Amino acid sequence: MRPFTHFNARTIKEACELLAEYDGKAVLNAGGTDLLSTLKEENLFEYPEALINIKKIAGLDDIIESRGTLRIGALTKLSSIVSSPLLNGRYPALAEAARTVATPQIRNAATIGGNLCQDVRCWYYRYPRHIGGPILCARKGKAPCLAVKGDNRYHAVMGGKKCFAVCPSDTAVALAALDGEIKIAGPEGQRKIAVTDFYNPMGNSLERGEMVTGIEVPSVAEQSRQAFLKFTLRKPVDFAIVSVACVLTVQNRVCTDARMALGAVAPGPVRASGAEKMLVGGPVDEEAAAAAGEAALAGAKPLSMNAYKIEIAKILVKRAILRNQEP
Amino acid sequence: MSEKYRYIGKVTPRKDAADILTGRAKFLNDIKLADMLYGKVLRSPHPHALVKKVDKSKAKNLEGVRAVLSWEDVPNWKGGTPRRTRVLDRKVRFVGDAVALVAATSEEIAKEALRLIDVEYEVLPAVLDMEEALKPGAPQLYEEYPGNVVTPGVPFFGPKSLQEVVMGDVDKGFQEADVITEGTYSYENIPNPMPPEAPGAIALWEDPNKVTLWVSNQASYMDKVTLFHVFNREVEVRSIGGPCGGSYGSKFMSWQVQAHAVLLSRATKKPVKLCMTKEEHLAAFTLRPGSRMSAKVGMKKDGTVTAVSGRWLIDTGYYSMTTQSQVAVGCGEVQIMVRCANWNLKPTIVCTNRNASGIVRGFGGQELKCILIPLLSLAMEKLDIDPFEFLKKNYVKPGDGYFWRDGIWYTYRGVDYTEAMEKGAERFGWKEKWRGWLKPSLVNGTKRRGVGVGVHGNADIGEDASEAYVRLHPDGTAMITSCVTEHGTGQRSNFVKMVAEVLQVPLENVSLSPADSLITPYEFGPAGSRGTYAIGSAIISAAEDARRKLFELVAPKLEAAPEDLDTEDGVVFVKSDPQRKLPWKAMGIDRTCTGYGRFDPDYTLSNCMMSFVEVEVDMETGKVTLVRVVNATNAGQVIDPQGLEGQLNGCLGSAGIDSALFEETVIDPSTGHTLNANMIDYKWRTFSELPIIDNVVLETPFASHRFHAVGIGEVATSPGPSAILMAASNAVGAWLHEYPVTPERVLRVLGKVAPRAEKGGAA
Repeated sequence: MRPFTHFNARTIKEACELLAEYDGKAVLNAGGTDLLSTLKEENLFEYPEALINIKKIAGLDDIIESRGTLRIGALTKLSSIVSSPLLNGRYPALAEAARTVATPQIRNAATIGGNLCQDVRCWYYRYPRHIGGPILCARKGKAPCLAVKGDNRYHAVMGGKKCFAVCPSDTAVALAALDGEIKIAGPEGQRKIAVTDFYNPMGNSLERGEMVTGIEVPSVAEQSRQAFLKFTLRKPVDFAIVSVACVLTVQNRVCTDARMALGAVAPGPVRASGAEKMLVGGPVDEEAAAAAGEAALAGAKPLSMNAYKIEIAKILVKRAILRNQEP
Repeated sequence: MSEKYRYIGKVTPRKDAADILTGRAKFLNDIKLADMLYGKVLRSPHPHALVKKVDKSKAKNLEGVRAVLSWEDVPNWKGGTPRRTRVLDRKVRFVGDAVALVAATSEEIAKEALRLIDVEYEVLPAVLDMEEALKPGAPQLYEEYPGNVVTPGVPFFGPKSLQEVVMGDVDKGFQEADVITEGTYSYENIPNPMPPEAPGAIALWEDPNKVTLWVSNQASYMDKVTLFHVFNREVEVRSIGGPCGGSYGSKFMSWQVQAHAVLLSRATKKPVKLCMTKEEHLAAFTLRPGSRMSAKVGMKKDGTVTAVSGRWLIDTGYYSMTTQSQVAVGCGEVQIMVRCANWNLKPTIVCTNRNASGIVRGFGGQELKCILIPLLSLAMEKLDIDPFEFLKKNYVKPGDGYFWRDGIWYTYRGVDYTEAMEKGAERFGWKEKWRGWLKPSLVNGTKRRGVGVGVHGNADIGEDASEAYVRLHPDGTAMITSCVTEHGTGQRSNFVKMVAEVLQVPLENVSLSPADSLITPYEFGPAGSRGTYAIGSAIISAAEDARRKLFELVAPKLEAAPEDLDTEDGVVFVKSDPQRKLPWKAMGIDRTCTGYGRFDPDYTLSNCMMSFVEVEVDMETGKVTLVRVVNATNAGQVIDPQGLEGQLNGCLGSAGIDSALFEETVIDPSTGHTLNANMIDYKWRTFSELPIIDNVVLETPFASHRFHAVGIGEVATSPGPSAILMAASNAVGAWLHEYPVTPERVLRVLGKVAPRAEKGGAA
């Protein structure tokens, strides 16, 4: 690792002020599970001048449901989300998404804020400096995206622009289906943004001096049935090739509400609104689920090597919907 | 069978187990010498370029930097077969090739210095595909290799070293065939066997021409030999081996990282440690060779192969040190796997602008079988032949023969493996599960299962030479002097077992010297599958020789002839009258008694591994999951049951079965960057996804050495990959011919995803 200045921020305000002061040349460190490896591999184009430790900020690691809203602090460990009785009972899609992340050791250190803000896994973007790197690319602001012509088997099938990397966060997909919002603090005070609006092809919507402080999710219907499915090449320690989160409300065998999000297919989680509309008002059966799968991927446009992701995504949508069926 | 032995075949604790588990074992990176410097390598961003200018001034001025070297600063040392690849060259030939070396007082300073070196390159066109590299006008990697074809042959294997399989009359063979199939197949996912410990070395130079190296290698004596030649036979090399954190063949040779450390020590006169990062290990250390073959086979209805004819291309990346050896051994192994009277199999080794290929367990044979068995399978399908019956029928039997790596014909004199294969099939339930070609064994909704089988064997169990001393001490202890390092299999403990058995002393009374080439005799190392038979024979002979010498010393005092004596627990006694006895110290308390043993190569024995696999394919997502493996072998007398099980269970990773499922090195087809040089993107199996593994081991005595053992060595990985393709094809009902069988490839053969061009072209 190269030298950097280290700060222990005690408050959100202090962290935001330091971020503003360093103007893009400081990074926040919570669990550090991703950040430290990028520092070791030196694959970031600009090496940060400062690291701001936010683990010492109090009150950002609670999971609370009150007055119709679920609130999760940004410093909540993924392992706490996995084991939370509240989340497993009422928001199982989120608990399940957290459970699929990495390994138990990493989940013990990694936070949900970090999981939402982690940088993309694109192998061109993350190419290690010490093997003739780094590779310049659109995301680093210096060159075109190499994945378009190169090996794009894991890249975006929708929503890519200039950069075709996909959002690697699993929890973002569950939160998108749960209509979650991300709470942000910054020099201008606090704001909230829908999880689905948080990401863009070149990064996320955090402005200078801003940090994620937590998540808010509106209460789900008591009878909602949820699922999170993740397709990977191996079960543990792997990022999604495709993931799907699904929240359905079914009354008298008729779907009254459907919320579905696709992960790892685009720069951020994508709500499958076409599929949702198609499901509402109808029965939840094999045929409807398969049609929803087709509808969810209607806008997809593969790169040279990733058409298979579209097929897998259709199947995952279908399976996630059917998993919600009455036994 | 093991009842007659005190230790052989019994479960005994590994000598180094407690040290490894408690962290006391000192691996290379744990060693710190006084005044030690740290080395780092600046690596090329281009797959092919001339180094026009290297400005080292800024790096040299950084505090703590002790040396910065580029090609102008170093002697003309070269590796490769033939020796054509400079340790530091003015030409770089892959993304990651060494451009400059830095030694500094800390790793961080060395890394920082790399950023301060300015290099001017003249970028040259690069070529990443074998067939492109062979075309007229293709970029040329070496002036010495016109057309990018590497000079064939291995001087070390003798004047007739095997370069092809040519015998009989293939035209006649094809006329006799009931069916002829042809096609092009490839096994080019160039997996990394990925030992946990990345390669590294510590070097300490002494003027004018001596160097001591601490190495972490599979065969530390051979480091001395290899480097002696790399250093133009002008430098005296001493290599000291320690525990090696895995190798799987790959760390048999680490000549580049070792030479880099030596150059830095030579420049600074200080010890220099140079350990690769995991990323360097994956992107700039040797990989399995790429293998592609356009071939034709003829087969009769009864499963007799009448002819094999084809062109085998081997992609060695930017240089070859051992690829010719792998071709030679692969050509030998293929004759062990399939009896055929008529061959015309012509290999060509090709250089491309990617990271070099080198030794990986399976050594040529796995690379060849992974592309030949799918072609043979096409013929079997047409003739409706059960692949198990085919492989069983065609595997070498006593009295059959083969041309081995030295180009000489040998007649196989080992056991018939038919029984082991049949026992394996029985354990697996092959008869019940085999439903015919391209037929699933089980259909359950969207999931389908299929089965496959493969076989592999290698006459390298008796390859190359080994020497050892065994020294007996008056106090009843013994020490083995041998240059065997422990690379993970437990063989060092097994040699202790063998000597304790010969001398009939407690295990704890036998120790093993460090693997220091200054003090030990010649040892080729536990390469291939030679540990049990070849090394074991030398060590056993040394123990027997020491025992005989001991008896000669003690016999007069017991008034007996040496041949009438025996020994147990440090006491020599007369066999016919055990009460007439003397302790070992009767040899004289001012004396030790040393025996010498040597093994000379013997290619008339081969080991064998048949693997049966069952996979489940998700017909909707294309995911292939390995459900079960049964490995069947006959190892002769088992020396160490736990070590044997470990070797057999090692069939999955280390570029074995999983190289058909998900292990692969991904290289950008136009820029030449290794894209997945990290432990997330290089897919490898974790413990939470282990399938059921069943091992069937027969113990028919072999005419090998005193204990009638041959072991299993490296072969567990090799039958699996082609078996996986076979099983997945049977499950899906269509031929899958590419490694690994990714979801994308399965969905493509199912017609759910449109085909795409598979191979990358020239840059």
